Amino acid sequence: MDPAPIRKPLPLTEPQQREATRLCVETGLTLLQHGAESALVENLTRRLALALGVERAEVALLANAVVVTTLGEGHCITSVRRNEDRGISMHMVTEVQRAVLATEGGELDAAGYRARFEAIRPFRYPRWITSVMIGLSCACFARLIGADWTSCGVSLVAAGVAMAVRLQLVRLHFNPMVNFFVTAFVATSIAGQGAIYQLGATPRVAMASCVLLLVPGFPLINSVSDMVKGYINTGLARGMYAVLLSTGACAGILLAMTVWKVWAWL
Amino acid sequence: MNLLLGLVQQMALAAVPAVGFGMVFNVPVRVLGYCAAGGALGRGLRYLLIEGGGLPIEWSTLLAAAAVSLLGVTVAQRLRAHPKVFTVAAMIPMIPGVPLFTTLIAIAQIQQKGLSNELLSTAITQGLKAAFIVAALAVGLAVPGLLFYRRKPVV
Repeated sequence: MDPAPIRKPLPLTEPQQREATRLCVETGLTLLQHGAESALVENLTRRLALALGVERAEVALLANAVVVTTLGEGHCITSVRRNEDRGISMHMVTEVQRAVLATEGGELDAAGYRARFEAIRPFRYPRWITSVMIGLSCACFARLIGADWTSCGVSLVAAGVAMAVRLQLVRLHFNPMVNFFVTAFVATSIAGQGAIYQLGATPRVAMASCVLLLVPGFPLINSVSDMVKGYINTGLARGMYAVLLSTGACAGILLAMTVWKVWAWL
Repeated sequence: MNLLLGLVQQMALAAVPAVGFGMVFNVPVRVLGYCAAGGALGRGLRYLLIEGGGLPIEWSTLLAAAAVSLLGVTVAQRLRAHPKVFTVAAMIPMIPGVPLFTTLIAIAQIQQKGLSNELLSTAITQGLKAAFIVAALAVGLAVPGLLFYRRKPVV
């Protein structure tokens, strides 16, 4: 990708610089909220600032806030935004990145970027399709671990229902840890029936695979990526968050196994 | 022949979770195909390296993740989107979910039943396994940036 084309080094007026700062910090915030890794957030925010004509831009990422300072004409403007997690959405990350690339290519000015940025609407797959696909995914995991077809079917049903529950709880704005606890309980309870009624030869594999929809893969990978690239604080925060979510799921699994008196895993 | 059959099975079974989790991550519809391809390629390559090459799982994972990431860069430049948009979903079939939960459950059991050699050894070995594989996945994904795109952005 080419760097930004050489453009007029006209200094920005103060209102222009203020607007550029706002656009940058909102861009960074949106990226961080939807699960982009820190290196990408910082990189895109800085490039947007330069594309909007700012002399220099500095970005600081905290575990739950974004700080952007732009420098121009001998003075700085700093803006902070509080970050709250909106759930992973690669669609949002892609659209924001394309808008930044268009600005960098000279197709959009500040007003154009704002219009395009604000027009980005979150996109979600229909819940039933996601649930069916996650059910199938966990059935595939079961097969990969070595389950027979009946156990794969048990895993499919358990994971599919659990995913539907999880998406419903997301809609009701429950705390993610509560959500993972309940979802793991539902999944293990359904798969546990397979063990109680002797469905298939490998009921314990089904119980293990049906909760794999709760492995926080994205935060785990982002955590290590962040730390490798020098963003230790966001990396630690994301890693801790992943561990907490897993612990919530683990509590749900344990409670379900205690209630139904079927023991798997160990 | 058995290796080939195993490979086909692994790749087919890995493509489905890659797409499924791609949908959970709200990957754009047109990019889901790359999730499937990346998932199949990664898991298939890892299987070959473990079964055919005799490499340990963490090194195989690292190489497989690096291969997916390197191919992902070329796709990403065409799509005008960051490679992580679809490569993370492609890594999901290799995520060590079972070791992760086994570790946590073993720790909970230590709390309930008291320390035993068996539980402690399960907790530590499975926990290390999960940590090493996750690290291998993340570092593998970072390989293009670490080796080739050191001072410039991928997209």
